[in-house]
Amino acid sequence: MKLDDMYEPNRRGDAAREGGRQPAEGGAPLADREVPLAPVATFDHIHRWLDGEAPEPSGARGDTARSVEFWRRLEEETERRRRVVTPPYVASRIMAALPEPGSTTAVAPWWKKDVQLSPATIVALALGAFSLGVLAMRFMAR
Amino acid sequence: MKSTAPADQVAQADADQAIIARVLAGERDAFSILIHRYSDPLFRHALGMTGSPDVAEDILQMSFIKAYSHLAEVRGRFDAWVFRIVANGCKDWLKNIRRTHLSYDEDDQPTGYANPEEELDLSELRSDLDRALQTLPVSLREAFIMKHVEGRSYEEMADLLSTTVGALKMRVHRAREALQALLEEKYA
Repeated sequence: MKLDDMYEPNRRGDAAREGGRQPAEGGAPLADREVPLAPVATFDHIHRWLDGEAPEPSGARGDTARSVEFWRRLEEETERRRRVVTPPYVASRIMAALPEPGSTTAVAPWWKKDVQLSPATIVALALGAFSLGVLAMRFMAR
Repeated sequence: MKSTAPADQVAQADADQAIIARVLAGERDAFSILIHRYSDPLFRHALGMTGSPDVAEDILQMSFIKAYSHLAEVRGRFDAWVFRIVANGCKDWLKNIRRTHLSYDEDDQPTGYANPEEELDLSELRSDLDRALQTLPVSLREAFIMKHVEGRSYEEMADLLSTTVGALKMRVHRAREALQALLEEKYA
């Protein structure tokens, strides 16, 4: 049985044993080197992209790529809707429907408006007040 | 009601107050300046919420008449105040329509298309998006429309809806996920 000498100089694990690959410059083992990964477009990244807080995800695959493509298409439609304007006749229609200029009640708050009561309303209010007074006196007489 | 810097907003609010003073002094036609200034974003909001141009026009008209009738009560920004009138008008309309119409049920959902790879038809996307939006709860739909169709910032939305940026982000994210679940099969 042959055992590897783990302390043997100038040999660095499996990579060196394979023969063709040499250790990196500076002596760091290949396994310890950081390899930059392509940015992973998670749904959180897509939200941040749609919120304008991150660039458009690139290099996405599978479901994420489908999501990015979907939102690209939907953004085209929402962009179109963002350019929608009010039909030109609406402003004149609104102006024509506003209360008459002579009417001070049109723009005055409710507490500044004149109170208008019909004779029937005044009689009804008086009768109500009288009835309440009678009831109160009976209650106090007990 | 575009996204503007705070200094611009102050200047805009001052300009609006000057117009309001003219209207209250009897210069009725000055109100048309406010209509022209704010009708587009308000119309887009009403259209997005109701899905109907006719209804959006009616809500806009009712809202501006209400604003005119209570103009002396405006405190602070006119644009934010009139936005709330329109937003409430949309919510009231949606409440009433739900009482009288069946909701959008499972059979109407855009699933099971015969040929998902077929060329995208833009008008179809429009109607599918409208139908999908109608299925969202009102608060999610409102947040999505304000963010994606009106192009507002979360800060502006929070100001107009009197809520927090975090809550609005959550609503927009949930709306996106719901819309994607409804439409992705066909459009992704």
